[in-house]
Amino acid sequence: MAAPLTRPAKNPPPRAASPSGGPAAPKSPGGPGARRGQRRAVALFMVPFFALFTAVTVLPMFYAAWMSLFREESSGLGFGGTERVFAGFGNFTEALGNEAFLRSFGHIAFYCVLYIPAMVGGALILALLVDSAMARARRFFQIAYFLPHAVPGLIASLIWLYLYTPGLSPVTDVLDALGANWNFFGQDEAIYSVVNISAWQWTGYNMIIFYAGLQAVPREVLEAATVDGSGALRTALQVKVPMIRPTVVLTLLFTCVGAIQLFDAPKLVQLRANTMGEDWSPTMFIYTVAFKGHDYGLAAASSLLLALVAGLLSFVVTKLGNRWKAS
Amino acid sequence: MSCTHRTTRLALVASAASLALLTTACGGGSGSDASGPGDGKPVTLTFWSATAGAKETAEAFNKTHSDIKVKFSLVPAGPEGVTKLSNAVKGGNAPDITTMDYSALPEYASEGNLEDLTPSSGELVKKEFPEAVQSLVNLGGSTWAVPFDVTPIQLYYRKDLFKKFGVEVPTTWAEYRTAAEKIHQGDPNLTITNFGGGDPALLSGLAWQAGARWYGTKDDAWKVNIDEPASRKVAAYWDGLLKDGLASKTPLWGEGETKERATGKVATIIGAAWSAGNFPVSYPDSKGKWGIAPLPTWDGTPSTGMYGGTSYIVPKGSKHTEAAAEFIKWVTTDPKAMTARLSSLKTPSSALPANEGMRAAAAKEFDSSYFGDQDVYQLAGEAADTIVPGWTWGPVQQQVTSAQMAAGGDHTKMLSAGQAKGESAVTDRGLKLAK
Repeated sequence: MAAPLTRPAKNPPPRAASPSGGPAAPKSPGGPGARRGQRRAVALFMVPFFALFTAVTVLPMFYAAWMSLFREESSGLGFGGTERVFAGFGNFTEALGNEAFLRSFGHIAFYCVLYIPAMVGGALILALLVDSAMARARRFFQIAYFLPHAVPGLIASLIWLYLYTPGLSPVTDVLDALGANWNFFGQDEAIYSVVNISAWQWTGYNMIIFYAGLQAVPREVLEAATVDGSGALRTALQVKVPMIRPTVVLTLLFTCVGAIQLFDAPKLVQLRANTMGEDWSPTMFIYTVAFKGHDYGLAAASSLLLALVAGLLSFVVTKLGNRWKAS
Repeated sequence: MSCTHRTTRLALVASAASLALLTTACGGGSGSDASGPGDGKPVTLTFWSATAGAKETAEAFNKTHSDIKVKFSLVPAGPEGVTKLSNAVKGGNAPDITTMDYSALPEYASEGNLEDLTPSSGELVKKEFPEAVQSLVNLGGSTWAVPFDVTPIQLYYRKDLFKKFGVEVPTTWAEYRTAAEKIHQGDPNLTITNFGGGDPALLSGLAWQAGARWYGTKDDAWKVNIDEPASRKVAAYWDGLLKDGLASKTPLWGEGETKERATGKVATIIGAAWSAGNFPVSYPDSKGKWGIAPLPTWDGTPSTGMYGGTSYIVPKGSKHTEAAAEFIKWVTTDPKAMTARLSSLKTPSSALPANEGMRAAAAKEFDSSYFGDQDVYQLAGEAADTIVPGWTWGPVQQQVTSAQMAAGGDHTKMLSAGQAKGESAVTDRGLKLAK
């Protein structure tokens, strides 16, 4: 079962991430004609991807752009139905002036501050532990850590919802018995509940990626470090981590793009933690505006703004990451 | 036959196959065959519903009618179903008939998503249905839906707990509070009811009972009147019970609430007529312990509000409004439809039909033994007669509900948040707001 592509990369990974600079074309024995045939085969194999990509990503984006330029106007009591009027950039200014929309980005920023260090740090520590010389049963740990990711996000969120619900959850029972009064759905606590669900889902996944990166660290380098008297901890932090920087940067990029599109975990937590509001994250805001407010123009404009922010964010993270890699 | 040709051909086949696979996988439903009356063939109607027993109802209709055929599809309940419908209307593939909550009707009507049923069903609604529900389906001088059930709020109470603590069945809200204090003093683990999570639908029903009217129309403008004295009185009353620990704050509709009720932690449940059917299923161990009484009142005059409820509508764009009206008439007023629906249910339904002629058929199918010797339908019918008339829902109720949910169980705040959201949402949609 392949991992679902829940996080579409808006732009190709930075060149530097593939150390060889892309695979070199293999020398085919059949001469130039054969190479042409091969290229044709490659092109043909890519047709389904591009056809679908156009149908389900590019065209809807154009359609959203078109929709974002219009408003549905009613008059009086509205029983006469609605009328589409051209709004120009009115929907965009409305979105940018919408407090709830702006607040939702604030929520995500705070979420990132909590989530990224915890998740990336956790994944890195786990990967280094499994990669350390003392580790036993590596296959087992790899699979065990990856398992949470194999559970679809919606299902995971539902299970966590049970674990958060007082009266049903063994977790809350234990906390109560200890005298700790923690309300997972409280106004201030709900965000930690969301962070926890995300971390549970993604830590193992990213640990596998880091672990794969660590496998590529040349063994001679590690031997040299040992001969030079570097202990296990120092080797991990000062030899191994710098060597998988590109992977870490890539993970950060994916995580940021994923975070800004956060939907299912907060949507489900919000069912119980009503104070979060139905527009807690940008995607929830868009969903609510479209399907509860029936304002498709504003929803389309907000979606495009969200895509823009995600693109900018990727750009910034890549730039920073490259600088960090070069240092 | 060189290998490269083979790869090319293989790639071609693989590409074609994968695309074909995907197009079949996401193939949408085809439109209904538009055969009109007069060409000898029966008219085919598409019918969407999330209600239990709707499928069997449609089958029973098809058995007894030759000129109309109803094709049924199950849709998700709640907000998802509503969303699906508005998208279908936008996409031009809406069904001919579907069911809709009373509270969502004005929203749909005011977007032009409903067919005006005045010519086909206006008379039916006037003649066959109680006045209290007429104001829910008649808006701005037109009929937009045909009522299916009425949902008077009633009091379900634990007879054994009341006896144990020497409490009489309360007839006023003041007595209800006294009962709450008595029970809580007798056993601090018990509360009078769960009122957690701030349920906007229940709050509106209790405000309705107190004489509030959250919405109305004045000429060609909508009135939004949520944060008003009668509602404030209700909100303050419940916030007081919650503050003093007399009502519990368990999240609504959750498993925690069910557990609390099943294990005798709450002495009453404030529910609608349809709630009775859930008791044998959700709290089977408490058989014989629950009784039903009219909802306590503010001034001693019997009165109640409504909590939920469903109607039948014809979405905009249906080509068979006449045939649809015939099916709707059958399903809302013909006892045979009721019998077909109820006899197919796996769990009992106690929904009270709005049409009085249907009630006997419905009562016959319901096993009242859970409630001892009380006649559930009889009591619900009596409660329905005391529903305060004149309530109308507004065109932005979904958004108001969302804003109220976010108030986090503070009922007074729910009113102010609802008022603010209601006003801004009406003007955002370009509708007129009465000053």
